[in-house]
Amino acid sequence: MKNSLFVLSIIALTGCQTVEPWERGILAKEEMQWQASTMEARFRQQMFNSKEASSGTSGAAGGGCGCN
Amino acid sequence: MKYAFKAMGGPCVFRIKARSEHIAYHHAQAAHEEVLRLERRYSRYREDSITSTINASAGKNSVSIDEETYRLLNYADTAFKVSGGLFDLTSGVLRRCWDFRSQTLPNQDEVERTLTRVGWAGVRFSKDEVFLPDIGMEIDFGGVVKEYAVDAALALLKKRKVEGALVDLAGDIGAFSNGFGTPWDIGIKHPRSPEKAVATVQLANSALASSGDYERCIVIGDRRYSHILNPKTGWPTNNAPLAVSILAPNCLVAGSSATIAMLMHSSAARAWLSELGIPWLLVDSDFNTYGTLAGI
Amino acid sequence: MGSNTLDKAKSPALAALLSSAVLLPAYQSAEADAPPESTEIGFRYGKYQEDTVAGSDTLSGQKSERYDIDVAQFSLIAPVGDSWSVGLTGQWESMSGASPWFSLYGADGQQKVIMSGASIEDRRAEYGVEARYFHDEGNVGFNYVNSEEDDYHSDSVGADASLNSADGLRTYTLALSASVDKITPTQGVAPTNTLKADKDIHSIWVGVSQIINDRSIFNLGLGYTQRQGYLTDPYKYRDNRPDNREELVLSGGYRHFFDDQNGALQTDYRYFIDSWDVESHTLELAWVQNLNNDIQVTPFVRGYNQSQANFYSDVAVDTGGYYSDDHRLSSYSAVSFGLRLKKNFGPWRVSATAERYESAEGRWRYSQVPNKALVDFWGYSLGFTYNF
Repeated sequence: MKNSLFVLSIIALTGCQTVEPWERGILAKEEMQWQASTMEARFRQQMFNSKEASSGTSGAAGGGCGCN
Repeated sequence: MKYAFKAMGGPCVFRIKARSEHIAYHHAQAAHEEVLRLERRYSRYREDSITSTINASAGKNSVSIDEETYRLLNYADTAFKVSGGLFDLTSGVLRRCWDFRSQTLPNQDEVERTLTRVGWAGVRFSKDEVFLPDIGMEIDFGGVVKEYAVDAALALLKKRKVEGALVDLAGDIGAFSNGFGTPWDIGIKHPRSPEKAVATVQLANSALASSGDYERCIVIGDRRYSHILNPKTGWPTNNAPLAVSILAPNCLVAGSSATIAMLMHSSAARAWLSELGIPWLLVDSDFNTYGTLAGI
Repeated sequence: MGSNTLDKAKSPALAALLSSAVLLPAYQSAEADAPPESTEIGFRYGKYQEDTVAGSDTLSGQKSERYDIDVAQFSLIAPVGDSWSVGLTGQWESMSGASPWFSLYGADGQQKVIMSGASIEDRRAEYGVEARYFHDEGNVGFNYVNSEEDDYHSDSVGADASLNSADGLRTYTLALSASVDKITPTQGVAPTNTLKADKDIHSIWVGVSQIINDRSIFNLGLGYTQRQGYLTDPYKYRDNRPDNREELVLSGGYRHFFDDQNGALQTDYRYFIDSWDVESHTLELAWVQNLNNDIQVTPFVRGYNQSQANFYSDVAVDTGGYYSDDHRLSSYSAVSFGLRLKKNFGPWRVSATAERYESAEGRWRYSQVPNKALVDFWGYSLGFTYNF
């Protein structure tokens, strides 16, 4: 699993094209962001983190809560 | 969304595609500010513009300039060389001899006297300053600032990552588009019937500039005198085109190329434009259309 | 993609003009990082509702309601000057319901769950503040978050930095955080495992985001978190966990925009492994469909599976070492499906989401016998943001 992720990333990096700043309109769209709504993302992550043994998405862990 | 205002001597329109109309409006305001900034800085009608300062110091002292002004002068110099002297930023003084409203031709002596005040070759400029050698000489950025403003407004909108934008400053147009690559459709007005399009063009990441004299000229008998004056003679070129439109990567180059073509004989202009290698359209005084855009 | 393919200048005249023009300030395309252009304020309300535990799974034979949480969120992000932005967040929760206390084997040899008797009612309030500085190559942020409940107090600080590559196609991110938590379990009918305890959490994250072409981007991330202190669940009857837990997260994400469909595919994957032997995989897929300029519909699906902690068993026994029957440490899979709707009304943006989460029993089962206390739930939220 980890190997294929690594290989995939190398392939993707070598296939990159130059994208001029004025060609990035689509990339600026909300659906192309890593996290669209911060509030909703926090709500969902808290739901999952409270019920599953895993945690962490992007960014450092942050604070805790007694979430049960 | 559409944002309309008046500047650069005519009606201006921005069309912007952004995440919401509200955000597009914000960006339009910023781009509008940029256009006004350039107008303020380079308009010869304003006392506080750099143009007025330079012209008032003609024959007396040099004037210090900023990077942007230097680069514009540098560009004008390139255009001068490339056009064999036809593109001349100092030819503005010739307008004093010509009265296009009166429909009368100027006095030849007056033209010749004014011609002594025309001559880009004599202008001395460096990164920091510019000097016009004779009193009465004038620089008129009118030939470059409107087209440059289109590019500057567009660059600002591109930096703000809007999805697409079209900038139309009194007929000089630039556009970029990322609305799924849908280009903007532009119609080039027919010289005789403005409501008809003589050609349609698709702008995706380029600019369209047009030069035409059908709106301002003197007609005597069957001879037409264009308002675009040749800096070498003080008169419009004989058999010059009626209108030229050019599609180029940016509006500045499109506009100056169009102006240069308007100063040549129609046949010479056609040869020069096709050698230039970018899409062009030319309408001659007999209303014949030529050029790679004519087929569209 | 839609750009005029004007050939490289053939004529020297054109080349001269173009190269002279390109020196002008307007054509210098510097991609400087900048604060948001407008202030954004947002509110969101969410509800989390667990399914009832069936009577067949409880020792008493009675079905039991489970947890119910109402969440209200607030967020404000405002640009300050040319290079700063400031953010404020608030979150208020009110929780009620019962949760599993411990498990035993019933007369039929099956695991039976004993739920905490009386329904708890608890409130939590969280505040966060963030300052972010933008410079030519990226940005730096600092944040502080405080969370308060009757039985839990947490203070955390974090810092993060983003750096854009020279061509603007790649962004590197580093994030650090540290938090200090204090637990003072509420005393009720049942005794708790501790009266007062502390725990510290330290975390670091590195990530890289790369633009592949004008329609796609991907990212990779690596995170390490260390938790130290009292990690046992104070409310569970038989629960004793190590006082140290180290976690590693590996993640990848991909976004691709499809012009013809006017939509985007979002994929995110996370691999998790920790020092308690929990290993998990999470895969999320979403399709964002634009209906017109203002409306967006996004169906999404999430698949999750985890392996159990090395001290977990479905009925905990005090062996003198570590033990827990917390279903959250068991091995299981879960799938959730959801739908999100967004609509613009000028500067207002409204969104509503509903998601159904089902833990593996039966068809989604992942090897071991699933814990009877595994939870299925609904999560709903509705919110808006306003830009000015």
